[in-house]
Amino acid sequence: MNITLKTFATIRDVVGAATLSIELPTGARLSDLFAHLTHTYGKNFDRQVRDQLTGAYVPFLILVNTTPYRSTHDIETPLHDGDVVTIMVPFDGG
Amino acid sequence: MHKPSCTYVGYAGKYLRVDLGSGTITEHELTNSLAEQFIGGVGIAARILYDAILPGIDPLGDDNKLMFFTGPLEGTMIPTASRIGLYGKSPLTNSFFYSSAGGYFGPELKFAGYDGILIEGVASHPVYLFIDNNIVELRDASHLWGMDTNQVQHAIADELGSEEVRIAAIGPAGERLVRFACVISGCRALGRGGLGAVMGSKKLKAVAVRGSGGVSIPDMRRMRALLDDLFARFSAHPATSEILPRYGTPVLVHANNELGLFGYRNWQDEYFPQAEGLSGETMRKKIVKRDKSCFACPARCSKFSIVGKGMTEGCTVEGPEYEDIFSLGSMCGHNDIEVVAAAERLCDDIGIDAIEAGVAIAFAMECYERGLLSLSETDGLEVRFGRADLIVPLIKKIGLREGRLGNLLAEGVKRAADRIGKGADRFAMQNKGLTFPGHSARGLPGFALGYATGPRGASHHDGRPTGERTGLVKRATIEGKAEYTARINHLMVLLDALILCHLPEGIWGPLDVSELLVRCINTTTGMNMTLQQATTAAERIWNVMRAFAVREGYRREHDRLPPRFMEEPIPSGPSKGMVITRQMLDAMLDDYYTFRGWDVKTGIPTRQKLLELGLEDIAEDMGKY
Repeated sequence: MNITLKTFATIRDVVGAATLSIELPTGARLSDLFAHLTHTYGKNFDRQVRDQLTGAYVPFLILVNTTPYRSTHDIETPLHDGDVVTIMVPFDGG
Repeated sequence: MHKPSCTYVGYAGKYLRVDLGSGTITEHELTNSLAEQFIGGVGIAARILYDAILPGIDPLGDDNKLMFFTGPLEGTMIPTASRIGLYGKSPLTNSFFYSSAGGYFGPELKFAGYDGILIEGVASHPVYLFIDNNIVELRDASHLWGMDTNQVQHAIADELGSEEVRIAAIGPAGERLVRFACVISGCRALGRGGLGAVMGSKKLKAVAVRGSGGVSIPDMRRMRALLDDLFARFSAHPATSEILPRYGTPVLVHANNELGLFGYRNWQDEYFPQAEGLSGETMRKKIVKRDKSCFACPARCSKFSIVGKGMTEGCTVEGPEYEDIFSLGSMCGHNDIEVVAAAERLCDDIGIDAIEAGVAIAFAMECYERGLLSLSETDGLEVRFGRADLIVPLIKKIGLREGRLGNLLAEGVKRAADRIGKGADRFAMQNKGLTFPGHSARGLPGFALGYATGPRGASHHDGRPTGERTGLVKRATIEGKAEYTARINHLMVLLDALILCHLPEGIWGPLDVSELLVRCINTTTGMNMTLQQATTAAERIWNVMRAFAVREGYRREHDRLPPRFMEEPIPSGPSKGMVITRQMLDAMLDDYYTFRGWDVKTGIPTRQKLLELGLEDIAEDMGKY
């Protein structure tokens, strides 16, 4: 199946594009998408989303189409062909 | 030999008391009890000023008092321990207010041997305070009066023959008592609440400080272990190692807009389709030249920028920050990042809070478009949304109180709306006189409660948007948000007592006072504070600030949101339909006061709660209300 990935800020810098079309196996979940991105872009991608001491995802939201999912709780959310996935920037403050 | 009253390490152990009326300067000691119960920064300042400022006084009159204060961590290498706080009764909100800034002033004051400065009285002519270690004197500033904040800092440094002196100064807006005048140190703003106008009312143009001492540490081996741990955490977290260094706070433009939480056209909407022009990515590409850090901070979130085109070509600025982009850009309905950058520089130079200024302009735009302001009231200007060309001229008018519109908006949106009448208060996006910054209330229910109950009004540093925006807690519910908000209050106020930057809150907290902060306190001061004691100290400070507000007349009915946030659901974008109704806010307020041990009907802290916190005198005071 094919999904569209929307990126911002440092994640956009790592993948080199504001939107990307990505091919994933049928039945893939958000965790598979993140594994694919780590495999493709290596440590550089990982540094944008995981705490490098604990290895855990820091808290951020991931939009699947317009529905928000939480990196800390919902990483096993199933994806479907044609989904648009937006990774929000893992930034706390403001 | 004199035995100091404060034996804890980390503190300088004394603060200056400066009477501008008589010219008297005295030293006062901190005590162990003050340090244990109120830590530093906002805690010690709130406690001292609760006693020093009588209720009902005019914030711009002779009787207001102003404090600069540091925390026990300032001057150490603990990341972000760079901040200086400014405290007093606000001419905007009429209650206790505090604002803090990074940079270098705070550590320098500690190096000079002082934890803080209490300023009272009014000088007979413009003066500045010069602190050179133990030599402290008031100097004539008549020749500096009228200078902008950049000019005056250079002039004082030249006069003192030292580039190493750190200066906090007001600009022309503070001299003209603009109610949201700020204080600028270097390029950092002690921005909100109008305490720059209080300095202006006292004819105090600036404070300059030079210090050659240090900060003692009880056990360097323990401190080194703590620093190793802290710097490892800062290097490991994406926010402090990757995102802030590259994009700074403007990264939030997309983060908020993509969730439909980005104030647009005076909060008529919360999604700006053309926000890309204001984004951190666009800013980096177009105007950012290099990254800057505050003292002891590895995050380098500050951006040095140069405007490349237009009427303000060549204008340099440290910034703009996310809040400037929100207020001076999106709220006014345009997406020209170069106009925002130039406008932000002018706000700093003239000495006004960029959030308040931008929101005031957006308020005027909505009033003009709705026919509540006429052309004669706007000095002939067609003040409409999208008029990027008007932003810089309007800031100048406000800061210098020029013309009818400049004078009107210089009072802040609450007073401006009262003067306009005709229902204009509906479009004044403020609580307790302070305007809402760039984070949604309608789309973040717990944060809406933080805005409503904030002792400073609609501050984004009393509650926080973070937990709901990043998914640490569920967003679209009011369940559990009272306790969530109260715990965030405690985390924030403890950070402001220490004083540490809020941006790495994912490391410091993120949802409550943490063992890591307690470790910072104990390692620096030699205390043996427990997590419970630190949390109680935070709660104590919160209650002192609430009691101050109660004395000034604030009650439950003032813990509110503007009608727009309670009656008009977000009209478009990803958070379309979200709203905080009066019923939702009331339900959260009931829970919040109950959790805090405050009277649910009035919002006044109960005697029992105040006694539990060791605030016997304040318990007596509250009995009068």
